[in-house]
Amino acid sequence: MNVADLTLQADVAHWSWTIAIFLWFVGIAGMGSVAYYFSRKAPLAITILVSLIVGLLFVVSHLTRWWNLPITIFYAIMEFSFNFQSWMFWGFAILSVHLVLSAIVVVANIPFLQRFWFLRWAAVLNKSNLFLGLFAFAGFGSTVYSGFLLSTAAGVPLWNTALIPVLWVISASVATVALIELFYVLGWTDEREAAFGLRLGMGLDVMKLLAVLAFIHISLTVGTMGAQIGAARMFSGDLALMTWVGVIGIGILLPLAIGGLSLLIGKKKPLLIVSSVAALAGVLFLRAVVLLAGVWEPLVI
Amino acid sequence: MRLRRGQEPTRRLAHVWNEANCTACGACIIACTATNAPEMMHRKEKGWNSLASNIRRIESQNAQGRPTMMLSQCQHCEDAPCVHTCPFGAVHYTTDGLVDIDERLCIGCSYCVAACPYNVRWMHPETGLPNKCMGSACLELVAANQQPACVQACPANARDFGDLNDPASSVSQTLRRLPNRVLLETAGTKPKYFIVESSS
Repeated sequence: MNVADLTLQADVAHWSWTIAIFLWFVGIAGMGSVAYYFSRKAPLAITILVSLIVGLLFVVSHLTRWWNLPITIFYAIMEFSFNFQSWMFWGFAILSVHLVLSAIVVVANIPFLQRFWFLRWAAVLNKSNLFLGLFAFAGFGSTVYSGFLLSTAAGVPLWNTALIPVLWVISASVATVALIELFYVLGWTDEREAAFGLRLGMGLDVMKLLAVLAFIHISLTVGTMGAQIGAARMFSGDLALMTWVGVIGIGILLPLAIGGLSLLIGKKKPLLIVSSVAALAGVLFLRAVVLLAGVWEPLVI
Repeated sequence: MRLRRGQEPTRRLAHVWNEANCTACGACIIACTATNAPEMMHRKEKGWNSLASNIRRIESQNAQGRPTMMLSQCQHCEDAPCVHTCPFGAVHYTTDGLVDIDERLCIGCSYCVAACPYNVRWMHPETGLPNKCMGSACLELVAANQQPACVQACPANARDFGDLNDPASSVSQTLRRLPNRVLLETAGTKPKYFIVESSS
């Protein structure tokens, strides 16, 4: 293959680690909000809000004209130039709603803030299944958005697959389960949730492995040349180490092995810490490797 | 002028590059930068490893091992992915059938850069804007009924620019007369950058 104009997306569009970290935090906050519907623990609520804020700080820091954001929003409102076809526009909308709902949930979970009468409505909302359902839906929407953001970037053929939003939802769920296991180690959640999380996490790890391999396989076999080159970089090229060691070894197989061991000999907190940190790192590596592997379709072959 | 929803462009301005006439001198590339981004004259676009210009030179070899060269630039697609992806409508169609950017509405997210299948946008290191053909100086030339800088600079008459809606325009005549192609036709973007394949 003599590809003359192979250009890495990360070199021109600059979507690399900053965006990977943004997508990682959005995933944690997103599927964390779904978990909150069932768990309703304060540490999870705070983690969701902090993840969203830090994630947004990362993405804003990536904007080459971040200082223009207020003016842009002003003109966009005045001229109603919002682009409803753009997943990034929907991302702004979904993340804004998600951020507000997260702040309400955190207010409801901090006893000090509940002393103020004008904030007590947050606690009322926090007991409403409808409100928490909306919160979970916003979280799921944030995660799905972060996948479609890549899928619709037509210049990078590796990303132009509906598998990415699916992969993002599965891997963000893995990250959320890993967080719940860490909370168990820290004594912030109970044995019942941790035991459920262990089994759920193992199932999700298997699904994630399948989805990662399917993503690489489909891109390698039936993708356009740009998709094939990107997938080849992940499979056996300069990014293979990150794929096989970071995403699959550390991010999937190690937590699976520790999970299996825990089922046999019982949960050991040091092992759970290793497993959870590895799973969280693997989710970040997955986002990074998919971003970094992106190349443009060669115009000349 | 920005094309409003439901409005049809009054003109369909398009670029034509005649690869048979082109001598690969690079005058169009230099003229583009000198006219639209003179501050970048001695600076590279790192991702492309070439002069930061709205025209990109792609070199390769054919099956016989002979060197080949192609020039690519914004295709002013009629179904442009960059227009679809821009969150605040900064990237838009004009009534002349071009794809332009409204600086006031741009936050520098680079989504249009990643969305362009032709890889012809580059992020300006100082303004943070995703640059591409046509630059503001060339738009002023066109508004003054002149040709863009690349067309004016070409010594081999390998470049042309004009209205596809006008059957008498030189681009319409050339495209009727000579075999031509567009890049990534299957991408469905309806590009308006035509490559004339031979003079015969």
